[in-house]
Amino acid sequence: MGTSAHKHATAAVLMVEEGSVRCMGNWTVAEMHPLEQQLPHIRWPEQATLTFDMQAVQRMDTSGAWLLARTVQNLNSKGIQVSLHGLAPGAQALFELVTKADGVPRQLPQPKRTPFLINLGQNSLLALARGGDLVAFIGETGEAAIRLLRHPTRIRWAAMLHELGQAGHRALPIVGLLSFLLGIVIAYQGGVQLRNYGANIFVVDLVGLSMLRELAPLITAIIVAGRTGSAYTAEIGTMKVTEEIDALRSLGIAPMDLLVLPKLMALLIALPLLTVYADIVGVFGGMVMASVQLEVGFGTFLDRFDEAVSLDSYLVGLGKAPVFAALIATVGCFQGFRVSGSAESVGRHTTLSVVQSILAVIIVDAAFSVAFSYLGI
Amino acid sequence: MNHYTADNADIVIRARGLTTRYGERQVLNNVDLDVRRGEILAVVGGSGSGKTTLLRHLIVLARASAGSVHVLGQDVGALSEQSLLALRRRIGVLFQNGALFGGMTVLENVGAPLREHTQLSDRLIDELALVKLALVGLGADAGLLYPSELSGGMRKRAALARAIALDPELLFLDEPTSGLDPLGADGLDELVLSLKAALGPTIIIVTHDMDSLWRVSDRVILIGDGRVLGEGPMAELARSEAPEVRRFFQGPRGRAAQGRSTL
Repeated sequence: MGTSAHKHATAAVLMVEEGSVRCMGNWTVAEMHPLEQQLPHIRWPEQATLTFDMQAVQRMDTSGAWLLARTVQNLNSKGIQVSLHGLAPGAQALFELVTKADGVPRQLPQPKRTPFLINLGQNSLLALARGGDLVAFIGETGEAAIRLLRHPTRIRWAAMLHELGQAGHRALPIVGLLSFLLGIVIAYQGGVQLRNYGANIFVVDLVGLSMLRELAPLITAIIVAGRTGSAYTAEIGTMKVTEEIDALRSLGIAPMDLLVLPKLMALLIALPLLTVYADIVGVFGGMVMASVQLEVGFGTFLDRFDEAVSLDSYLVGLGKAPVFAALIATVGCFQGFRVSGSAESVGRHTTLSVVQSILAVIIVDAAFSVAFSYLGI
Repeated sequence: MNHYTADNADIVIRARGLTTRYGERQVLNNVDLDVRRGEILAVVGGSGSGKTTLLRHLIVLARASAGSVHVLGQDVGALSEQSLLALRRRIGVLFQNGALFGGMTVLENVGAPLREHTQLSDRLIDELALVKLALVGLGADAGLLYPSELSGGMRKRAALARAIALDPELLFLDEPTSGLDPLGADGLDELVLSLKAALGPTIIIVTHDMDSLWRVSDRVILIGDGRVLGEGPMAELARSEAPEVRRFFQGPRGRAAQGRSTL
């Protein structure tokens, strides 16, 4: 043990020997770990006074001084008086600094814990209030939209066209790829079954109806929610953190007019267009699969398509798109405005935005299906 | 201070011919600089003079286009990323806006470097964080707050507590008094002096607070147009006849601060 003190960087050591305590090594933050582990297991001699020989301590920083101070305090509370010998002047000063009574509280502050029922109640109220906030936000957006429609000259075309490019044009590759693959998968999966009955041609009905009525609007909305809704939240949220929203307000510019309405309008235009695009590419995917796998050529496919799929089906699918767009833009912007303070909050609300808008899209889609079947469309 | 025995060289930072360009623009031009162990060195200069860039070199966040920087005896340009990390652990930085992590409480912020770099128990880390908070004059209750709930002065103090979490040998303060009211700024100046007395690090302050210069610094370096325009103790610089130095220190604010410091 004695020789280890002479090595270059030695861990902090404390040894109890015949009624006195010898300390050595580096009492610095990088070297304190072994001693901290060892301290609770030390058996202190049963005597009224104890001398700590600190001569062999090479260096001491705040962490070493604090651990020493804590040990001394523990011994004092057991009725053992401690005297320190050979502490270097600088270390002595540090030791006194960290022991100063007014400085460090004896107790770690505990975050307040609330009982379960109170917690439940508070969270329920919070959820209700949040719902109320959303309704208020929708109301504000609607009011601002009406105001804007009365004065169409105040529409911010540049901002809206920019958003339109971001949300629409740049989404074309991913929407196209996914709906093409979706068309292929449906034609393939359905075709395998249809072939067993020799009903190959009905793959047209299958692909056409499912894509146009249901899948193209849905997959497009989900992609846009993940792509654009999240971007809205992150953009508005970051502006909130950097006080840009407050700056806009103080300049007399309503954030609604500059940020929310252009996004909402852009999405109301972009999502139906993307849906039409997804319809076409998706059906094309089905066509390719039908001709490769089921011997239904392009010409036959298109002839049958005319008979099988009514205009209603197309319009039903397309009609859902603006509703989805409004949902996604509203949720995205709303979550953006709810961001507070930190970068972490931006991340949390962006996640919430995507989850909630996809959830909302699927629920509303289901509601549409029920309503349409009730109405017999 | 006794905990600097391992490295007894007297110069902790040595920059020679330090030059930085951002594209065409030359930010630092052939800067020579020595920082002595244990001093409080103030780096001053107008906005855009290159002092923030200089600071980024000294805290080993930027590498020079030309010239060399030795920090704590190590040539920064020649170090691997791994050794740079080890070197940065010996350096504490108070960023201008605090740069506290928004998702953590103040106590967690201060404990973060300890948690990353040591194996100490959570309890000891929390205690040490409380000690550091007490050193910067913050109570335990402040430890439970989030950075967004702090006032400007408290945020600076909390950030300072994090900067000294590992008992750094070099402590860099970027505009520590900016955005504080006069009382808060005075308090922070005093805090810097008391930390210097308690922990004994070498302190480099980037500032243009004239009062701080007079009260806190041992030595001042004036940067302008990417060059060192003048250096020396504040009292000497204030008497300097060089026109660039006079222009900086002999404005109404400079003279007012000098008047206050001699009261």
